[in-house]
Amino acid sequence: MTPGVSVDIGGLRLGGPVLAASGTFGYGTEVPLLERRALGALVSKGIFLRPREGSAPPRIAETPSGMLNAIGLQGPGVEAVVRDYAPMWAEWDFPVLVNINGESASEYGELAARLDGVPGIAGFEINISCPNVEQGGLYFGNDPRAAAAVTESVRKRTKLPLWVKLTPMVSDIGVIARAVESAGADALCAINTFVGMSIDLNAYRPRLSFRTGGLSGPAIRPLAVHLAHQAARAVDIPVIGVGGIIRAEDALEFLVAGCSAVQVGTATFVNPKAIAEIHDGILGFLEARGLSSLAELPRYLPRD
Amino acid sequence: MFLLDASIMGRRQVARGMFVIGMHAPEIATTVRAGQFVNLGWASGPLLRRPFSVYRADGEHIEVVLKAVGLGTAQLLAMELGDRVSCLGPLGRGFELAGANAVLISGGLGVAPMPLAARDARAVGMEVTWVHGARTAAELCAEAGGDRVIWATDDGSQGIQGTAVAASPDAEAVLACGPNRMLAAVAERWPHAQVSVETYMGCGTGVCLGCAMPLKRGGYDRACTEGPVYRAADVDWGALPSHLAYAVGT
Repeated sequence: MTPGVSVDIGGLRLGGPVLAASGTFGYGTEVPLLERRALGALVSKGIFLRPREGSAPPRIAETPSGMLNAIGLQGPGVEAVVRDYAPMWAEWDFPVLVNINGESASEYGELAARLDGVPGIAGFEINISCPNVEQGGLYFGNDPRAAAAVTESVRKRTKLPLWVKLTPMVSDIGVIARAVESAGADALCAINTFVGMSIDLNAYRPRLSFRTGGLSGPAIRPLAVHLAHQAARAVDIPVIGVGGIIRAEDALEFLVAGCSAVQVGTATFVNPKAIAEIHDGILGFLEARGLSSLAELPRYLPRD
Repeated sequence: MFLLDASIMGRRQVARGMFVIGMHAPEIATTVRAGQFVNLGWASGPLLRRPFSVYRADGEHIEVVLKAVGLGTAQLLAMELGDRVSCLGPLGRGFELAGANAVLISGGLGVAPMPLAARDARAVGMEVTWVHGARTAAELCAEAGGDRVIWATDDGSQGIQGTAVAASPDAEAVLACGPNRMLAAVAERWPHAQVSVETYMGCGTGVCLGCAMPLKRGGYDRACTEGPVYRAADVDWGALPSHLAYAVGT
């Protein structure tokens, strides 16, 4: 019998534990060869109230086992999401959460209010961890009061499931995790990219036009497993692990370390079928170990 | 779009440091259009795939052309016959071919999409002139072909001394590929030319937004999806990074 892999994440029932990370799956219409059966949920590309052009090229640079990106949250703005994408999402058989961004706590709230109740939108992922915008983003994510203020501002405007995506660029992720839990978050996503820089030795300048970028890919996986584990130890709400997952074994590391689900990002750029392969690999692992469901997977999660 | 494990079927040198690699990719070979590309990845290779214009397609095989510019391309060139690469494609928007005649202008590695462009142009009855330029005779791709071929070298060691753009006649359809500064010169002379641009790419499928192309009308679009072929006058050439290896043609 196929092991059960459905999971409950902060009020949402997901068909599987493997989710598409924001910014790596567009709005769900772009990824070719998509195998929907394997997708637990999709988190949309990050959006703001208004359209944004994004950063000048070069926007990406490959680094050892990873990549730096500074896309700059290019996007069509909230009205285009309501008009062009939400109606499609309403027809799909997996939930779509919108990754929301703002330059102030009230702007996040405004965005959530505009999207609340729109058919097709199953919840929100609050992005307080984007390293590639001049205003907001990471600023909210490394201060517990600012992180809580953004979460509260959104919580007041919607009853939909609310996930908060945390930055790794903090000295104690548990402090931020507890702050947003108290402010009303239903789940946490740990972690967003690390801030990095790479220098072009021919030009004597950074390889990215934005100067710095967010580091993703297998290079950050052990760092991400540790931070997701620390976040999971600090709170009672579910934690979704994210950072450098390429194969099923990588996802299982996060799950054993205390996460309830995982997001896959950079791997989709390399292999459009990555999410399906990881989903199937988790099923195979559970079966091989004689576990009848994901809930039976032993966890390593001593409490703080 | 297909994702295939393709066996390496052959490798040959076509200019100093420039090689053509053939691989078995039947679904791609039968569907690819001139100007489209494939994104290649391989075991123990770099994390991200590497994009290559399809150079030729014949029966069940496709070819790409490359130089060893970094670790990734060096690994690809070191592969043995029968080794497998993961081949994603065909990707992007290719050339539109219509009219009585076409001139194909290629600089250096910009030869990449041209054999397929020449094939498809001749298939729709166009007369094809191919102008191929490089720094020296040794760096000219030996396989340029068409109804007429014009060679151009910076040092005059073969054909006309000067740039391929300067050596080109006019035609109803102008197709160009090469360093960005060459394509900017094409845009000056033929605003309606179709140019195939080279950029860094992440996914190659339109998701990551890493291959942003600055446009004259403002904003960016994706070289992997709306491109890599653009109307020359639509690209904001001045906004493209000028310090990158691909931009200066090294």
